[in-house]
Amino acid sequence: MYKYDHIDQTLVDQRVTQFKDQVARRLDGSLAEEEFRPLRLQNGLYHQRHAYMLRVAIPYGLFNSAQLRMMALIAEKYDRGYGHFTTRQNIQYNWLTLEDTPNVLADLATVEMHAIQTSGNCIRNITSDAFAGVAADEYVDPRPICELLRQWSTLHPEFAHLPRKFKFAVNGAKEDRTVLLCHDVGIELKKNTEGQLIADIYAGGGMGRTPILGSLIKQELPWQVLPSYLTALLRVYNRFGRRDNLYKARIKILVKALGSEEFARQVEGEWLHIQNSDDNFTQAEWDRVAQHFTKPAYKSLTALSTEQVVAQAPEAEKIAFTRWLERNVSAHQVPGYAIVTLSLKPHVVVAPGDATTAQMNAIADLADQYSFGELRATHEQNLVLADVEQAKLFELWQAAKKQNVALPNVGLLTDIIACPGGDFCSLANAKSIPIAKAIQERFDDLDYLFDLGDISLNISGCINSCGHHHVGNIGVLGVDKDGQEWYQITLGGEQGNDAAIGKVIGPSFYADEIPDVMSNIINVYTQHRADDESFIQTYKRLGVAPFKEAAYKNQKNKSENAKQQGNAEVNA
Amino acid sequence: MNTIASHQEILHFPKGGKPTLTPNEWLIWNPSQEEFQRAKLPDLDDGFHKVLLPFSWWCNQINSPNQQSDLLAKANKGQIGVWFAADDDILNHSEEIEAGKKVWSLVAAHFPIFRDGRSFSTAALLRSCFAWDGEIRAIGDVLIDQLLQGARVGFDSFALRLDQKTDVALKQFDLFSVTTQNSWRGKRTFIAETLLEETT
Repeated sequence: MYKYDHIDQTLVDQRVTQFKDQVARRLDGSLAEEEFRPLRLQNGLYHQRHAYMLRVAIPYGLFNSAQLRMMALIAEKYDRGYGHFTTRQNIQYNWLTLEDTPNVLADLATVEMHAIQTSGNCIRNITSDAFAGVAADEYVDPRPICELLRQWSTLHPEFAHLPRKFKFAVNGAKEDRTVLLCHDVGIELKKNTEGQLIADIYAGGGMGRTPILGSLIKQELPWQVLPSYLTALLRVYNRFGRRDNLYKARIKILVKALGSEEFARQVEGEWLHIQNSDDNFTQAEWDRVAQHFTKPAYKSLTALSTEQVVAQAPEAEKIAFTRWLERNVSAHQVPGYAIVTLSLKPHVVVAPGDATTAQMNAIADLADQYSFGELRATHEQNLVLADVEQAKLFELWQAAKKQNVALPNVGLLTDIIACPGGDFCSLANAKSIPIAKAIQERFDDLDYLFDLGDISLNISGCINSCGHHHVGNIGVLGVDKDGQEWYQITLGGEQGNDAAIGKVIGPSFYADEIPDVMSNIINVYTQHRADDESFIQTYKRLGVAPFKEAAYKNQKNKSENAKQQGNAEVNA
Repeated sequence: MNTIASHQEILHFPKGGKPTLTPNEWLIWNPSQEEFQRAKLPDLDDGFHKVLLPFSWWCNQINSPNQQSDLLAKANKGQIGVWFAADDDILNHSEEIEAGKKVWSLVAAHFPIFRDGRSFSTAALLRSCFAWDGEIRAIGDVLIDQLLQGARVGFDSFALRLDQKTDVALKQFDLFSVTTQNSWRGKRTFIAETLLEETT
């Protein structure tokens, strides 16, 4: 993975000094909270319900065991012994003090980490494929471009105060694991017929109040000119994005208002006079960065068949091990290796995406022992060991079980994506974590979950959509009605190549109704599915009607009962 | 907005130079709608001998027979500059800017509030697209923590909001010794170091 040179390290160290001074000015009162706010946000620091929350950047989700140990130490030293991995591949701490944060950042800098631009109205941490560089379906390893763009966007002066936040995703594989079309800018990397690296640019995607999928605005852009093209794109947004209404300030609203063709035309216009500028990437820069993304020292191994892998387990454990292989292990580019996803979604006991200090330390050891000391954080809030020898899968599985990160539920109903919600977040209208736990409690039977197969269930505590409910096959959104917490259900959302925004099925539910509503929706699927149909396929075939009817079944029964009771009283 | 005109000192940070405080000579004229229509230049008194006019007013008046000669005469004496509002679409006024470049002594870009970054792009465009090599002043809600960004996109003078501490402000510019993207002030460190190696 990428290793800082003196430029990166100096920049991060000096950023710590700068922030320390800003915090000192806030604490001595010379900097007003209103004016400090964007400064702390651009360093990932939010003021939450109970304390300060710090979001630490994990650029494109890639990190090493030393960094994970530092994340564990920070949780122990400054927080309450755990961290929360987010959908944008970052980690958050929920219980910090303002006074401590410069020290946290200084500690992070010692392992080449920071919290730069993890929040605020600027270019945010760039996300990518958690399987980058190892996925069997990869056309192009996106990591060098991610790293070049990370550097280009870091402390970019012109785009420090955009109308609103700005998120990049970069994908280079056949299957999109980045939710590319839900980003302000999605960069799809490929090779042209001459073998040159090129990019297709999608703009104007986003979730939030107005979920929109991005539009293709530029094709076959040579990789070298990404800085000038993106400067032009961001400049159009910076100059013309709305600043009068927070809810209409994202680039998606501008692209929608102008139309994607007109937006693309304006970007071309801006680009025209800078496209040959020396802002563009050079081959020397590519070489400097790409040297860090060469393949690790893979052994020359023979690929094992599933049967051979399963044979590692004693008879009594074969079924459970097979389940884990099916759900949590993916195909690797290199024969004899596999990609392992460690589930941070144990049923009921912790919030989705949380890991304790002890778990983080143990997982760091597993990374050292089984995966060249490297890890990845996924959009689904799990962790990945990307380079595991197939012959060691059983051994790793046993070790992972001890840490409670081996539940074979990756991609299943209980692999819930959830934001921290109203338990922590001051923006939230409603809690997310208890809803996730209640659903996990209801669907705790692994046989049943396996039978249901792939279903994504995403929960957001408010319309900011940090839990990405819009793209869950089933989405749950916390809403506030008369000071009470309600939950709205969307169906039909999808991420990946067939990305789609879910549709709201109707009036919202009380928290305690949600497990029954889920059961009713799932029952429609189990009753009507054709042979190998997944939930989303059945949904697409049947449409929303039967699911909607089932979701409100209990309410209908309740109101009919109430009506009958009422009639009975009148009759009496 | 008019309070900006009462600035006694301006923070100057010329390209390649050091940040210093210098006395302000410029009145920033922010006419009311009525004054805007009246098309009369403000009186230059109160010790200010030079005036920054709203760019939109300049565009309206520069071709008017009543104004043109007076404006150009003052401009030629170095008494006239323009300031761009955050929503001025400068790329749509290329002709006026190309002509104005020859006579303006100063241009400024306005920050209606510190967290509005439009004027960063205005300054960047003035430098890169219009090749303006004169002074660009940041005016309006200009705070200490915008200085570094402003200096990098193309500003070289700052009318700081009056409550800002100038001693803290002066220290902002050398916080970072490296950069990872080009700016008006120089190439990104990797490229700069490579160039240096090639020439030594």
